[in-house]
Amino acid sequence: MKCLLIASESAEVLFHWTDLEFQQNIQEQYGASQEEGQGLPAFEDSISTLFAPIIISCSTMVDRLGDSYTSFTTENNHIYILHQFDECLYIAVNGDGEEGEDDLRRKIYVMKKMIEVLFGMVTLSGKLLRKELRPQDTEQRARLWKHLQSLLETYSHLRENDQSFLVEAVERLIHPTLCEQCIEFLERRLVQQLNSSVERAGEEVLHAFILVHTKLLAFYSSRNASTLATSDLLALIIMAQNMYPSNVDVDDPGPEDVESTSGSGPESFYTPEPSPTDRDSSGSDKPVRGSTPVFEFMDPDIQMAEDSLQTLEVPPPDPSTPRRVFLEVSSKDGIYPMMPHSMYCLPLWPGITLVLLTKIPTNAVATSVYKFLEAFAKLEKRLSEGQEGSAATRGQLTIHDIRGKLDKFIKALGPSELQCIDLDPVNLTYLEDFPGLIHFICVDRSTGQMIAPSLNITERTTSELGKGPLAQFIKSKVWSLVSTTRRFLQKGYSTVTLRDGDFYFCYFLWFENETGYKLEAGDIPILPDDSAPIGMLAWDYYRKLLRYYSKNHQGEVVKCYELLTVHLGVIPTEIILQHCRQLASKLWEPSRNPLL
Amino acid sequence: MSELIRRCNYFFLYDGSKVKGEGDPTREGICYFYPEETPLDKQDLLCGQLAGVGRCVSELSSSPVRVLRLSRNKYAIRMRDDFFWALGCSVEVPTISVCELLDQLIDLFCFYNGSVRQSYQLNSRETLAARWAQYLSHLQSGSSELHRIFSCLRTIDSTNVDPLLLLKAALILQACQRCPLVLAGCILFRGRVVSTQMSPELTMKVMVHESETYTKAQKPNGPSTSSSFGAAVSSTTVFLTMSELQYLQSTPVDKDFSSHSTPRKDAPLKKTRLSRTLSDMASTESDSSDPGPSQSPQKVSCSPCLSESDNSVFSPSPLQSTADPVNPSPQSPEPPFSNGKHSREAEDEVLEESYYQSFHSNGGGDSQIHSKGDGSVSHLNGGGGDACGTVFDFRGVESGSEKTHDDKVVGDGGVGCGSAQGHKEEVRHPPPCSGSFDNPEESPLIPMTLYLHRVKGLVLALLVEPHFLSDTASMEEVYHSSLASLNGLEAHLRTISPGAPGAPGAYIFAHFDCTQSTLTTNLSGRPGGAPEHPFVRATSLLHSHFCNTETLQEAIIRSAGAAVYGTRSVAQETYFQQHGGSPRNSGIPNHQDSAFSLPSKARHRLLKHGVNLL
Repeated sequence: MKCLLIASESAEVLFHWTDLEFQQNIQEQYGASQEEGQGLPAFEDSISTLFAPIIISCSTMVDRLGDSYTSFTTENNHIYILHQFDECLYIAVNGDGEEGEDDLRRKIYVMKKMIEVLFGMVTLSGKLLRKELRPQDTEQRARLWKHLQSLLETYSHLRENDQSFLVEAVERLIHPTLCEQCIEFLERRLVQQLNSSVERAGEEVLHAFILVHTKLLAFYSSRNASTLATSDLLALIIMAQNMYPSNVDVDDPGPEDVESTSGSGPESFYTPEPSPTDRDSSGSDKPVRGSTPVFEFMDPDIQMAEDSLQTLEVPPPDPSTPRRVFLEVSSKDGIYPMMPHSMYCLPLWPGITLVLLTKIPTNAVATSVYKFLEAFAKLEKRLSEGQEGSAATRGQLTIHDIRGKLDKFIKALGPSELQCIDLDPVNLTYLEDFPGLIHFICVDRSTGQMIAPSLNITERTTSELGKGPLAQFIKSKVWSLVSTTRRFLQKGYSTVTLRDGDFYFCYFLWFENETGYKLEAGDIPILPDDSAPIGMLAWDYYRKLLRYYSKNHQGEVVKCYELLTVHLGVIPTEIILQHCRQLASKLWEPSRNPLL
Repeated sequence: MSELIRRCNYFFLYDGSKVKGEGDPTREGICYFYPEETPLDKQDLLCGQLAGVGRCVSELSSSPVRVLRLSRNKYAIRMRDDFFWALGCSVEVPTISVCELLDQLIDLFCFYNGSVRQSYQLNSRETLAARWAQYLSHLQSGSSELHRIFSCLRTIDSTNVDPLLLLKAALILQACQRCPLVLAGCILFRGRVVSTQMSPELTMKVMVHESETYTKAQKPNGPSTSSSFGAAVSSTTVFLTMSELQYLQSTPVDKDFSSHSTPRKDAPLKKTRLSRTLSDMASTESDSSDPGPSQSPQKVSCSPCLSESDNSVFSPSPLQSTADPVNPSPQSPEPPFSNGKHSREAEDEVLEESYYQSFHSNGGGDSQIHSKGDGSVSHLNGGGGDACGTVFDFRGVESGSEKTHDDKVVGDGGVGCGSAQGHKEEVRHPPPCSGSFDNPEESPLIPMTLYLHRVKGLVLALLVEPHFLSDTASMEEVYHSSLASLNGLEAHLRTISPGAPGAPGAYIFAHFDCTQSTLTTNLSGRPGGAPEHPFVRATSLLHSHFCNTETLQEAIIRSAGAAVYGTRSVAQETYFQQHGGSPRNSGIPNHQDSAFSLPSKARHRLLKHGVNLL
């Protein structure tokens, strides 16, 4: 039973998301209190009526006591988390035990982050945001809410299943050759060509990256682009996943599949599942994750000879229609949050997505956000017009052309090679190197990147953990370990070891300077229970931590690392600690990872 | 009060049934509000808002609210019927401890007053406000932050006490139990437990009354201590829950079972043992299987509430009626009044019973803490504490005269107001069971009597059947059999120096015995100043984490300031911090890091404190 609600101070519902169980619960309660003969009121009215007393009490407490509610817990362990951002009150509820307080608080912060990415500076004004989130036109409102709901569901799914969204750091695929080729392609053939094109209408490609599911295969930024913040990158991955869900749980090809694709037999192609369009998707027709993917068997040559767009255009969202996103830009003058960009998201291959981020010349930023938006709207229109007729696009590098070229490029790489890469991002035979080690996650918090063996939990795939229930059990342990260590980190503890059942867990956070010299452990700030969740997606805790720590290390570039390990409990702790030490030094060795 | 670090910022009891209509002022519903000096409009605001939000949330979730958190305060909540309790603490206090504190407070109230609804029907708000204040101040006073984290019993420092004295205390209690009307007892010295046969929860409740009479006795111009004898023997009515009673009446062999089969609803499952005495520690196994002299079937037969059928509860059951002599179904799952048919009848009886109590109490009904007996002890022969060498001085209470009898007193009438008439009342209303109908699911409360015999700083507290007070022979027997030993014990305990304040050693530890709810620590126990201590902070966090994670066995956590090791088993939790010797560390995994040698150091160092971590 889950719910997330955004309300204005006057108890007006600005957005809500509920699961079916919560919806039924509300309807039953409302039905019971309704008089006979009257039909059930609209769901929005019911939820608004039921939550109104809580919302009003919140503002009363703030006004009269200067104190605000942060959470409620009931005897049957339903959790309510409340957080006020300016004039908007967010309430997240869980009644099925699947989410803890930290999860709900995180969900609230992520929702706020997604709204910021979608609406930009408008979020700074309560009035304007209210207008944006609750358009007068009910159809428009329904569309917008559906979109936000589906983003929230995508996020929740990723947080529950994807390690990089568990620890909130970007996972890179370690496949040096492929990666280099891709970067070269992105740079030479894509970004440079697009940016030198006369017809780009002032739009400038800043960043281009290729995702394999949620993992980063290659990333290229143009020379004058500022760094893309980890927080923004993670938010964009959620959006890309929302457009083209990858069904990572079931789609990971087993070894047999890889073999078959490398043979001479018929190639297997995935057709991306129809994703809801931004405009007329509805939550209920959203493809159920974990459903069997559709396979199409055909001759690859024939397939490729045809305009690959034909097959790829089956999903309704038109990749050439950019989405406006507001991202952080850091320049010499400082950091500008929520600067408008356009995001082009193109599915290249099942589970493989190309994302382009473009930006309008920055001098416009100085004028006003609204001018920006206007210019952007025009640009969008021109781009979409430009796509209509082929005559208009002659001699011009269109999105279609880009994709055509990309497809050829990918074909050149060979499907087997591409399909291999989403097996195990960490190509370590760690079971032999580290007997007794079950799992680890290593995160470089300065770059926001993580390395971990994959945790495949489906029957078809076999990871080093085995498969099925055992892997599922270990996964649940890893998830709870991360939440536990975060709680201790929040209270200032940067080293934690736990003997839990048959397992021994370790967590270490430490600082290094650029040359790899280990810096002395310093004080970690102690935060209140209701502080922003520790992570990098919604609120970059580590950036603040680094800034805090660097105060005593002026003139030095400080890096921050985390290591989590899961060992069998029977292994002596000395051995476990030796493993941890080896992992900590080995994983970030330049020879292992050419991208770092 | 103001000097104490106030653990609790707010506490209130709000009766929603008084504020049903639109125009009813919130004030009508406020039964008690602490701190009492809080401006009325703020009281209104807090009660109205929290109770309102609480009701709204419980409706949405179909379950009462347990915790309401704000950014500056967190409130443990209890909602029963129309009553709404809220206990607000600062956000640093672990949530689990705030909830425990509220439960303790409500349990305390019910223990001394019975059902809350009835108490408010029978007494004025002012009277009951004084009691809430008393219980609240008792729970907040005197204990260290570590004691609060574990909500543990305050015990005498056993490392300073000759084990023979603990044995002696245990023997006194066992001797008292020879009287079939005595359920269980405990011996307290200056507000600390020496030995107890009751569960930690029950012992804690008994201690409130003890400390109250102790404070009164200490005050030079205290109300009831004008004579040099003081009120050595006193009693008060207390109310036990069905499970508490069943536990007390079951044989020691069964106790482990019954504590499992009838755990308190929201309390964590705790294994409890009969007696925290030296004799138990010496030979645990043999003792627990030995029924012992105190467990005669006769004793069991005196408890009408435990008879097999519900009907017998309502039928006259004379004192000597023999129920099942072996085991009167202590695990009967259904409380006597669980069915509606009987509840009205029971309620009537409860009222009568209560009037009966107030009619007969010396204090005139307002205070149930009254002295019924007036026996006292004059002196001790030689102070040797050996039973045969004592001279008794027992004053018959019924006479009220100052005349003292040397040697034994022949009791003729009953003792005190219990008397013959009381005995008849007992027969007419044999089952002294009063239902607490605050929540039909909760077991009813059964009135019992708490008997206290004070010898200076030492107190023998016994939970007895209500008609014990009217049974002169039994009362005298208990009194006389324990008197000399109590005197001796008191004399010995008094001479024990309070132990050198734990030298700031190379390490700090805290060892919590979950079974007995006792804490051993070498951290200075002074109240105040403790919560910000790194060890206390880490212990508090780890304790919460242990409570929430069943499978967790041990943990090491390190901040820049301190590395603390915690380990737990079913029966105990131990926390250990090594001082100094922490060379520069970077936090990177390193097997030479001193933090990881904490487990072996703890095992080694704590052996001499009697803590075995192997």
